[in-house]
Amino acid sequence: MSRRTTSPPAKRAGPGGLIDLRRLRAGRFSSIWLITLLLFAASPLISPGSLSGSAVLSMLPFAAVMAIAALGQTLVVAHGGIDLSVPGGMALAAVLATKLPAASGVPVWAAVGLALVVGALGGLIIGFAVVRLSIAAFVASLAVNSILIGVVLQVSSGFPASAGAALSAFAVGSVAGIPNLLLVAVVVVGLAHWIIRHTVLGRRFIAVGAGRPAARLLGLPTGSYEMGAYVAAGICYSLAGVLLAGYLRTPDILLGNTYLLPTIAAVVLGGSLLSGGITNLAATAVAALFLTQLDQVVLAAGASTATQLLVQAAVLALSVVARGVPWSAVRARLTTRAPDPASTLPSR
Amino acid sequence: MVDSTAGLVLRGVTKRFPGVVALDAVDFEVRPGEIHALVGGNGAGKSTLMAVASGALAPDAGTIEIAGEPMRQISPIAAREQGLAIAFQHPALLPDLTVTENLLLSVPKRLRPSFGDAQDWARERLLPMGMDIDPAAVAGRLTLAEKQALEICGALACEPSVLILDEPTEPFMVAEIDRLFEQVRKAAAGGMAVVYISHRLPDVMALADRLTVLRDGQIRGTFLASEVTEEEIITRIAGREIDALFPPRPDSVGDVVMEVRDLRSDRLRGITTTLARNEVLGLAGVEGNGQREFIRALGGADPVTGGGVTVAGRPVELGSPRRARRAGVVLMPQERHVEGVATVLSVKENLGVAATNQTASAGVVKGSAENALVAEEIRQLGIKVASPDSAVEHLSGGNQQKVVLGRSLLSDPKVLLCDEPTQGIDVGVRSDIYHRLRSTAESGTPVVVLSSDNVELAGLCDRVLVFSRGRVVRELTGDEISEHAITEASLTAATSAQSEEAAGPARRTGPLDRFRRLLSSEQAPSLFLAAAIVLLALVSATRSDRFLSEFNIASMLGLAAPVLFLAAGQLIVMLTGGIDLSVGPLSGTLVVIASFYLLDGYGAGWWIIGLLLMFLAAAAVGLGNGMMVRYARVTPVVATLVTYTALQGLSLVMRDSPGGSISSTITEALGARIGPIPYAVIVGAAVLIGLEVMSRRSMMGLRLRGAGSSEHAARNRGIPVARVHLAVYVASALLTMLGALLLMAQIGVGDPTAGVSYTMASITAVVLGGASIFGGRGSFIGVLFGVVLLQVIQNTTVFLGLSQAWQYWMLGLMALAATAIYSQVRAKRA
Repeated sequence: MSRRTTSPPAKRAGPGGLIDLRRLRAGRFSSIWLITLLLFAASPLISPGSLSGSAVLSMLPFAAVMAIAALGQTLVVAHGGIDLSVPGGMALAAVLATKLPAASGVPVWAAVGLALVVGALGGLIIGFAVVRLSIAAFVASLAVNSILIGVVLQVSSGFPASAGAALSAFAVGSVAGIPNLLLVAVVVVGLAHWIIRHTVLGRRFIAVGAGRPAARLLGLPTGSYEMGAYVAAGICYSLAGVLLAGYLRTPDILLGNTYLLPTIAAVVLGGSLLSGGITNLAATAVAALFLTQLDQVVLAAGASTATQLLVQAAVLALSVVARGVPWSAVRARLTTRAPDPASTLPSR
Repeated sequence: MVDSTAGLVLRGVTKRFPGVVALDAVDFEVRPGEIHALVGGNGAGKSTLMAVASGALAPDAGTIEIAGEPMRQISPIAAREQGLAIAFQHPALLPDLTVTENLLLSVPKRLRPSFGDAQDWARERLLPMGMDIDPAAVAGRLTLAEKQALEICGALACEPSVLILDEPTEPFMVAEIDRLFEQVRKAAAGGMAVVYISHRLPDVMALADRLTVLRDGQIRGTFLASEVTEEEIITRIAGREIDALFPPRPDSVGDVVMEVRDLRSDRLRGITTTLARNEVLGLAGVEGNGQREFIRALGGADPVTGGGVTVAGRPVELGSPRRARRAGVVLMPQERHVEGVATVLSVKENLGVAATNQTASAGVVKGSAENALVAEEIRQLGIKVASPDSAVEHLSGGNQQKVVLGRSLLSDPKVLLCDEPTQGIDVGVRSDIYHRLRSTAESGTPVVVLSSDNVELAGLCDRVLVFSRGRVVRELTGDEISEHAITEASLTAATSAQSEEAAGPARRTGPLDRFRRLLSSEQAPSLFLAAAIVLLALVSATRSDRFLSEFNIASMLGLAAPVLFLAAGQLIVMLTGGIDLSVGPLSGTLVVIASFYLLDGYGAGWWIIGLLLMFLAAAAVGLGNGMMVRYARVTPVVATLVTYTALQGLSLVMRDSPGGSISSTITEALGARIGPIPYAVIVGAAVLIGLEVMSRRSMMGLRLRGAGSSEHAARNRGIPVARVHLAVYVASALLTMLGALLLMAQIGVGDPTAGVSYTMASITAVVLGGASIFGGRGSFIGVLFGVVLLQVIQNTTVFLGLSQAWQYWMLGLMALAATAIYSQVRAKRA
């Protein structure tokens, strides 16, 4: 191959030297904050009362659960993967945390701990399959999801149990009017966000997600980071499942089913790149808040859960299509083909 | 001189790439019956010229004539139809298709034989190269030489009036080269116009009638081979103008830091050298002669099979970049977009992650320290960037390269390895980089530079090693180093190493080999699945004699029937590397639609309307999936997850609980069976067998498998990849509709949640059947056995008295095990 022909065309280089806001990434992540504000502003117009104190207080715990589950999904997507084991992970954790104490008197804390460990284990299996056996992420996670659901059915024998008093008291409780679940979500998401942003571990995690070959040459153990993403995700789903079980007291045995799509929607809405590398955990959490409030408003406006599903699908479709269409190429085709000084002239 | 009556004529062809003029008003002409060699150094523009000639690249200016007619349309297919055939240096084969299938896709439509004759036709087309290539072998499993032979035979099979051979001899032994030359001479004698591109001057001098020298995108003369010497040609190939400023060399290079002893790998035949403290060492050679493997092996990026390296007396562990870095050996890789930087991340993120040892304490990065360090590095390297937070992908190539260099320097190397440090970047930046590399060497970190630009090596290096066939054939030091000397050493050493290489063991196609091929073929999973079915059936039959009763078999097969169609659709999508999660909910939604129309008491008119609506709904869903995947670039998983959820919502909107009894006339008709076997299953099996035949014995099938096997190669062969991708989702949805009809007959009412679980079943059946999730491979026969096995498993759990959980476990474990085993088997063969 000729070396001249292998040089790729310079990408979208605008006028050099000028501050060009489009090149900065902030816009990717800030749009969800704006959309969420707009939704809250519009909520009373769509259904009066959906912004009342009690309505918001009853919505926030669900937003918190979704934010924690979506945090897991974000970590996996940050490596260009996708995790379809959300339903199984949440359901199994919920069943373990409720069924074990009720059936065999295991202390609640031990049951919760076991749930988190099992979640980590599920993630480890997916990660191992993806990294070491080169199985596509969606097949591995779909298969593990099936196995987890099997365990749910086995452990629960098909019947739900009630959460212990301590667990549900914590889950429905609040501190100074702020629901405990919201506090947990804020702490977990905030901590994860800080780790990704400000620690060596986080920086390397992102570097691996943004490009495995480049990270490998940088001397990073890419496989460990990638497997770690699935393990952390598994723990997140378990935590979300446990908290939701406590809040609902007697959770449906398959309580995670409705969470799969919203976690992916939250990641996309939050501005993360599905191919990995670009991610913002706080924005995902805001997107989770947005989706929960949207559900709430749709319900309060008198629509059925069926409509809710349609709205969810529409929101995800809109956001992926909006991000997926190569707008810059479209724009380039519309504007005249001006020669690009930054890339065609030798700089002196 | 330009003769426009026939052959290939290019006039005034100019092609610019950002930063370089690759071709500058080139006139080039090849007469019928002539072998015309095109020679030039790395990056002279030979491949670009041929890409333009073959319609793969649109020129910025100039005209192209093939066989006396102007090129009608800039596309490889149009050029092929006009009589131009090209054999590329790196064969663009479809790795999952057979040799025969690749050949079929290589030739213009009018030359294609019928599928019945294809095997014999292919065997005949393979004769010219005289290699024992089995037409039924999968192309991805051929050796490099066989692939090259296949590529050349494919070009010859086009019966072209213009034949272009781009570096055709690289993987060949002497005997094969002789054979090739014989064929090329024969073709030319028959009136073909042949363009022969090569770096290997001795070959060229022996073969060509005329030679044209290309340098820096300009023609430097055309000569009759009989009237010119090798030396004269070399002088014209070299002699590039020196445009960049090089830093001065030091007087002494210091003591030895790194020692390399007899380093060996697949492509390296024992390299021994040393590296001194203040030295810049150059690696030269024609592309693909081991220099890249050498520098990458030193950096831990490529594997080695023998030999050793020490840095400052201590041995370096090779094998991974992580280990090499522990000894202070840092590689700055060639492909900057892939290995050099993470292009989606910012300049700061890219530089910062390499410098955490300087900016972090207790694992926490200090923001201010990092900002200062990054700002300093940006200033020192002269990276032109609006803000450190700009993404690297928005920078120009030169600035990107500086980020790659910065990343390597921030890692605090003891030895710096640079693979093409100035590739594709302009003069000013090149000079910056040369000075930075020299100052690095002066500060005590020796630098190894691999470059395909001999002027660069001559200007920058203290010593140059010239590679050929995995060996160092010349070592140039001090005043010996010049572009001319490097070029001469690279071009003339070319054939000397060849005779040593032993020919590989001849491969035969005996019965044992055929059996082995069956085991690793796409049909092998069917054998294992059939064995598993028999085994499970035996176990269950011993537990209960009801298992083999007509009723049980009939009900098992009846339950399996809808999945046959859903899985068929799933495999069609998966052959292109996609996935369709929406098949389950779609089948449920279609049943719900049916439950409003296909009722007793409604006339046949309503039934037809109902069926029509089902058809329209399915087609719309398929089209929606396909458009999201193809035009909005949504990953298939997410796109079909959207429709998955929307369809669930839609069916619940139409019916929030089961209702609407389907007419018993319809359900009975669909459920009819012959003995224990439902007609629906017979139809389903027939459809799968039909699809299997279609996928192997029709051009449509080849295009489907080709598009999934390698998108790039598929485009080269004229497969309309976008249309194929769109079509597969529609096909999947329509097959799902057939499955939905059977599901409808089974459950008899419109149940909005009935279909959901079928998605997992369809995917599992397909992967059990051996399909690759990444596309290109899969067998519809395998799907047939996969579906039956799933049903037998489900039934067995019932007969063995196992809980419902087992069904989920079996499904999950089978999917994991099947994909793991098949992907390992495939990896071993590759």
